[in-house]
Amino acid sequence: MKKKLLSVLLCAAMVGTLAAGCGSKASDSGSTASSEDSKVSDDTLVYWSMWEATEPQGIAIQEAVDAYTEETGVKVDVQFKGRTGQREGLQAALDAGTHIDLFDEDIDRVNGSWGKYLMDLEEYAKAADYEATANAGLISACREVGSGTLKSIPYQPNVFAFFYNKDLFKQAGITSEPTTWDEFLAVCQKLKDAGITPITCDDAYADCMIGYHLGRLGGEDKVKEIVANGEWDDPIVLQMAQDYQELADKGYFSENIGSNVWPAGQNSELALGEVAMYLNGSWLPNEVADTAGEDFNWGCFSYPAVTKGAIDTATGVEAANYGAQVFAINKDSKMGQQAFDLICKITKGEYDEKLATESNGIPADTSNAEWPALVKCTKPVMEACTTRYSWAVGIESDEDMTPVIKENFIKLMAGTLDAQGFVDAMKAASK
Amino acid sequence: MKKNKSMIIIFLAPAVILFCSIFLYPIIRTLVMSFFKIEGVTDPIAEWSFMGLGNYINLFKTSLFRTSMANLGKIWLFGGIIVMSISLLLAVVLTSGIRFKKFFRAVIYLPNIVSAVALATMWLQYVYSPKFGLLKSFFTKLGLETLSKTQWLDNEHKFGALLLAYCFGMVGYHMLIWTSGIERISPELFEAATIDGANKPAQFRYMTLPLLKGVFKTNITMWSVSSVAFFLWSQLFSSVTADTKTITPMVYMYSKVFGAGNSVTEHDAGIGAAVGVILSICVVVVFTLCNKLIKDDELEF
Repeated sequence: MKKKLLSVLLCAAMVGTLAAGCGSKASDSGSTASSEDSKVSDDTLVYWSMWEATEPQGIAIQEAVDAYTEETGVKVDVQFKGRTGQREGLQAALDAGTHIDLFDEDIDRVNGSWGKYLMDLEEYAKAADYEATANAGLISACREVGSGTLKSIPYQPNVFAFFYNKDLFKQAGITSEPTTWDEFLAVCQKLKDAGITPITCDDAYADCMIGYHLGRLGGEDKVKEIVANGEWDDPIVLQMAQDYQELADKGYFSENIGSNVWPAGQNSELALGEVAMYLNGSWLPNEVADTAGEDFNWGCFSYPAVTKGAIDTATGVEAANYGAQVFAINKDSKMGQQAFDLICKITKGEYDEKLATESNGIPADTSNAEWPALVKCTKPVMEACTTRYSWAVGIESDEDMTPVIKENFIKLMAGTLDAQGFVDAMKAASK
Repeated sequence: MKKNKSMIIIFLAPAVILFCSIFLYPIIRTLVMSFFKIEGVTDPIAEWSFMGLGNYINLFKTSLFRTSMANLGKIWLFGGIIVMSISLLLAVVLTSGIRFKKFFRAVIYLPNIVSAVALATMWLQYVYSPKFGLLKSFFTKLGLETLSKTQWLDNEHKFGALLLAYCFGMVGYHMLIWTSGIERISPELFEAATIDGANKPAQFRYMTLPLLKGVFKTNITMWSVSSVAFFLWSQLFSSVTADTKTITPMVYMYSKVFGAGNSVTEHDAGIGAAVGVILSICVVVVFTLCNKLIKDDELEF
């Protein structure tokens, strides 16, 4: 009998331990506040962040959150999930009814993939007069991707354009930035004559070049159509391929372009001053800051307009892939107002400036007119944008085709495939 | 021993419940999901729409998935041959009574301790670099002009580069398994063979190899399981967007379930589940074939 009792007790203890071990802890490793409570209390605002706690953005946001808590007394549980954590875990957590009030990620992912979880923010924005000092283009982009209404608040804006080394341009005697393809070719030639390699690229961003060029020739919708329907025999594809073959034939690309695995091109060619231009996002100067050094003189221009072979729907230098990270509030949140106030704290005034300065990013608050030195060069490009392209101008809209496009396009740039060869390879692959 | 049914049930219950909820339920759910069109992994069942074998048919119609399966097959076969033979050779050398055995064993095992991310970065940004890479300087020193100029990471060589880097990291692990297998064989057997006049190669061929059959099976199974889960190295060799030369079914599955690269693409958890099921079947087939072809129970030692 005694034995039996002991066994039952032991068994109960074992089950208890197992259950305790399996119990989920509401706050993950990166959490800051209330990490001791296994359940977050209802009056705590829970924010799932796309940053890591140690990144400049994470540090600046934490400071803003602390200031917000001090001012308002509202406790905030910040959980730094990182990009991957957000991408893999957010939707499942929202579906499971996890207490999450606020989260952030890329504008298209938040509004596209997670659109059904978002609270409408129009009323809050109106009450706070949020738009008075917000980037109008980005706010309208948020409305556009939020099916006509504001469901997300942009911050850390970025723009995708050609970044270049101003000192190398000067050395080659180039005085103005190219706005058309012919001017671009002339710039490349001058650089080449001065013994400077004009362009490099990494595998991760190669598709963006083809996307941009096709976008210039026919607009984003056309690009998406080509990818979706396999219309690789469209004349603008051949035109694009010929334009790039010309760049390759004239030796304007780095000799390593066929084998550059990110970040080789940006770190060891562009940042070290060996190559002049690189098509990338405005996060680039910050990413390579340690390699490039403080004296690196950054320049930036929008992808040149292409007229030869362009069709009616063509877009010019006023179109670019610009976007932002956005904040969004869970539609089931009971703390909408508090969450919106926190958004304002992070994206306005002092803390927006701090976030921009520490991450060498673009401020979201238009009254913060002084941009960090590294991204100052993107201001004219950003301000001139009127048409918004999505990522890589839609060339990556079919994940089954992206690797094939990338493979053949890199071969085209490396000179192992000619223009017609590119078209043929793409036609064969999309069958 | 007196049997006490209720005690058995009480003691087994926690383990069985946990096994069912953590292993069995996800497996069955994945299998069921693979027959439906589902957008998000956690979508409610009401939103699933039945496809029958549609996901599987679509998968095999997609050339990128076929490419990924072919890559996996090549990694498994060629990588397997390279890793198994080198690790076996090293294990035999290490157990042959050489000096500094522990030191060499530690050195060969070292890549397993280093994070794969650090290893891949070393291979990508240093060894294969066309500017200052190890291979470049090595071949330049030897005066092999063409080889020193080879771009090891271009489309033509990328798969080989990936395979070499991966195998480098895997040799140590499999060598340890071989070593433990060889050390299990009693030294007296080898002594007797030596007295009978068998030289080292003959001992290896007629004694070590036959007695290692069971270990061979273990190694093949472990190799198959780790090959099927080939993901990290592929991601590191082609960050952001997948690459035709390095894509594996696991990477394909990830891009289907969580989206590919920076672009916002349609998610399809049903296809992802189907990829998972196909991969599991592959492992089961390899395991069954191994069991059928390699019989290790006929020898007792």
